[in-house]
Amino acid sequence: MGKMDELKEIAPKLSKIKKEIPFGVPENYFDDFSARLQMKIGAERITLPNQQNRIIQFLKPALGLAASFALIFMLVYWPLNSFTPTEVANSTNSGNEITDSEYRSMVEGMDENSFYTLLEEPAQTVQISDDDLLNYLSASVSDYDIYMGTEN
Amino acid sequence: MDTDDRQIIADLRLDNKKDLAFHMLVKKYQERLYWQIRKIVMNHEDADDVLQNTFIKVWKSIDKFREESSLYTWLYRIATNESLTFLNSNRRRSFMPINDVSDYLMKNLMSDPYFEGDYIQLKLQKAILKLPDKQRTVFNMKYFDEMKYEDMSKILDTSVGALKASYHHAAKKIEEYLKNTD
Repeated sequence: MGKMDELKEIAPKLSKIKKEIPFGVPENYFDDFSARLQMKIGAERITLPNQQNRIIQFLKPALGLAASFALIFMLVYWPLNSFTPTEVANSTNSGNEITDSEYRSMVEGMDENSFYTLLEEPAQTVQISDDDLLNYLSASVSDYDIYMGTEN
Repeated sequence: MDTDDRQIIADLRLDNKKDLAFHMLVKKYQERLYWQIRKIVMNHEDADDVLQNTFIKVWKSIDKFREESSLYTWLYRIATNESLTFLNSNRRRSFMPINDVSDYLMKNLMSDPYFEGDYIQLKLQKAILKLPDKQRTVFNMKYFDEMKYEDMSKILDTSVGALKASYHHAAKKIEEYLKNTD
């Protein structure tokens, strides 16, 4: 079956209509089109960013973020560290530690005998005998206190 | 691909010949592409915009043309896609439901000073505008341009069977419209 026959079969009314495109264009439209297009492409070429600019555009957000962090560091962290008084900084940094200079002055302030006694003294815990403990308690605590303590 | 097209493609890849080759390409294909676009967007002003965008896209992406299809098929595909994209973006911009697109195109058609058809041509165009965009494109390519289904298949990236079915349905719908509006 031919194309027209097929169309007659499925759409008889449509097949009777004359096949033509019912549109027109302004005069000389196709003669001028190419020139107008070249102008538009020329304008696009001017506004098209070059490769280097495109890379900068791509990295711009990351660079902005890095710059912000650097600025915050400059304005907050560095002044705090630089202008806080040394004593405060030392007390916050090295709580109970003894510095070398303090240790040296302590040693220099001792006489020779104390120094050698200190060196020879073995590192040991203090032992308290039962007698010492009884003597301490009888001197410091009354019988009533001892009675009340055992009741509880 | 014909010899002229091969020469145009080769020249488009040479910096010193690119401008002239592009001018030749535009001169050769502008009219055929214009009518394809005009049948989709209906109005001359819109068709002019879409044709310019089509050629700008061709200018920018000529390096991507792999010569697997003919130059005309490639151009036709870009023009069709640009036209359908144009309609979709208009639809999104005006928050139009799908059914209202035919009304929008109908207004375009009625207000176009370059519509030269008679009453029956206007009626046929109104019937065609009732079809969905893709089906309307298939119908126009087959009915007005008498294009082979195989060529249409390459342009629209749709199987021959689906295109035949689409054309058949479109013709039936148009016939129905013509009968009901007598």
